[in-house]
Amino acid sequence: MAGDKGAKITKREMFLRILLKSLKVRKNRVFITFFSIMIGAAIITALASVYFDISAKMSRELRAYGANFFIGPASASGNRTVDTGTIGEAVKMVPPEKLAGASPYVYGVVRLDLGNAVLAGVDFAGLKRLSPYWQVEGKWITVDFDDESCMIGKTLAKNMELKVGDSVTVIRNETGFQKSLIIKGIAETGQAEDEQIFVSLPLAQKILGMEGKANHAMLSIVTEGTDIDALAATVAGKFPVLDAKPIRKVSSSEGKILEKIKGLMAIVAVIILTITTLCVMTTLITVVSERTREIGLMKAIGADDREIVRQFIAETLLIGVAGVAAGLVVGFILAQVLGQAVFGSSISFRMIVLPVTLIPSVAASLLAAVLPVRMAVRVVPAQVLKED
Amino acid sequence: MAKIVLETKVLTKRYGSVTPLDSIDMQVKGGEWVAIMGPSGSGKTTMLNLLSLLDSPTEGEYILDGVGTATLTEKERVAVRREKIGLVFQQFHLVSYLTALENVMLAQYYHSMVDKGDAMEALERVGLEHRTDHLPSQLSGGEQQRVCIARALINQPAIIMADEPTGNLDEANEEVVLELFKELHREGRTIIMVTHNPELAEFADRVVRLHHGKVVKDA
Ligand SMILES: Nc1ncnc2c1ncn2[C@@H]1O[C@H](COP(=O)(O)OP(=O)(O)OP(=O)(O)O)[C@@H](O)[C@H]1O
Ligand SMILES: [Mg+2]
Repeated sequence: MAGDKGAKITKREMFLRILLKSLKVRKNRVFITFFSIMIGAAIITALASVYFDISAKMSRELRAYGANFFIGPASASGNRTVDTGTIGEAVKMVPPEKLAGASPYVYGVVRLDLGNAVLAGVDFAGLKRLSPYWQVEGKWITVDFDDESCMIGKTLAKNMELKVGDSVTVIRNETGFQKSLIIKGIAETGQAEDEQIFVSLPLAQKILGMEGKANHAMLSIVTEGTDIDALAATVAGKFPVLDAKPIRKVSSSEGKILEKIKGLMAIVAVIILTITTLCVMTTLITVVSERTREIGLMKAIGADDREIVRQFIAETLLIGVAGVAAGLVVGFILAQVLGQAVFGSSISFRMIVLPVTLIPSVAASLLAAVLPVRMAVRVVPAQVLKED
Repeated sequence: MAKIVLETKVLTKRYGSVTPLDSIDMQVKGGEWVAIMGPSGSGKTTMLNLLSLLDSPTEGEYILDGVGTATLTEKERVAVRREKIGLVFQQFHLVSYLTALENVMLAQYYHSMVDKGDAMEALERVGLEHRTDHLPSQLSGGEQQRVCIARALINQPAIIMADEPTGNLDEANEEVVLELFKELHREGRTIIMVTHNPELAEFADRVVRLHHGKVVKDA
């Protein structure tokens, strides 16, 4: 082809060169467009980051407030207890990655040195995960088959003048069982547990004469992406002796709060996007009217409508993508401020925020370009070229 | 005898009650240099816009290179202009943010391939090899018009259409531009040039005189 006089320039390189130079010559307008898109994207990013992160955290926090799934004897069976083996099998039906914690419970009344109290037999490892909000003075019991120690509720400790390290004698009249236990920890739970005494499940079964039995089990299941109702139905279906149900109070209020926040944020996002679109559109219309002569010239020397459309869409997209990128960064910083101010929590970045910001922001920029691009296409070279 | 490249039949343009161009019948042969003259407002620019397909007639026919233009779509009109016609304007229209070289390459870009070497050669030909990287605002009027001519020539069009190409130039620059047109004429290109300048018209093969949108003299 042509000689080696100058470097070959591809059409793409030429296109980019025109693109960049035409943006560079209109720095103010480009900046206004960039800034509008950035603000829009930043607010969407901030809202989306807060929403998705807080909803994940809230679900975690509400779950921390206790168990959200109950397994007990089916009421039709008339039993007040179930086999711990059956409970174990039922618990295994929960996908392990969804199970945050689980413990069987067996209850009975016992006599302590200074009076009666409810004794609960639990799996301490599971209980600890079910009740992370417990304030424990002393230590949690960590050994499964520890039959020398117990934990007691704060109110009970106060009433019976017990301290960590004291020993307490547990007597069960019906079985004649009597044993002295060391108090490992005193738990402040804010709930009925404050008046109970906790021992390991096997020990409780022995004290109460309920070997192999439990009254029920409590589970904490990750609700995100789990159909907890379907799970309950499956468990109850497979084990007719069992009753399995989500603990409604927590699950549904959690959902309601999040739905409300989501709706509110969606409205704010739509309003912001509308304003951004109008602002970008106004600027682009100004740009096209400033450039009618240039557009007329391009058409006169051989640019067809497609070429004109391509040029303007590319300019808008370039500014749009840059604006969204900056908006993501600014929005994430804004999310930290919001997270601290409203929820007292930092906000982690979640991948879903990317498409949630990118798609509507870029779509809004393109929508804003529709009218200006049509104006550009309608420029009549014969008219604009003779104006001086 | 050379073939007819351009023919109009009762070509008419109206704007409401104004008829800037009225029933023009004209034929131009390949390689011919036609000067269009006439007083201001006589329809010269209107006619050139129709001939360069920048505008469409209200009535009449325009046949370019044997093809009737009435039924062409806008896209096809652009393509025909790109392939066959090099345009030079009185106000030396250039894209302000592109250099002289880039302005020439822009016409290549819309036409087909961008070839920097060819674009440099075109600028060399109009005597601007030392001004290739200047923006239009850094060039004199005469230099800007020469960039326009280089741009009009870059895709080797058979027909050059120029609307008062020297209207805004001083004598020295007018001379340079005239020399360029003489050269193009020698190369065998068809030239249609609107001009007020009788000295320029002297070099044309033919002068078409317009008055109130009608041809009053064609010789
Ligand atoms: N878009 C338009 N609407 C109405 N009238 C128009 C339009 N364009 C041109 N005219 C009229 O058509 C007539 C011819 O205009 P044209 O531009 O062709 O003149 P011209 O011969 O090129 O003049 P000049 O030598 O001053 O450039 C003028 O009277 C002008 O007012
Ligand atoms: Mg004119």
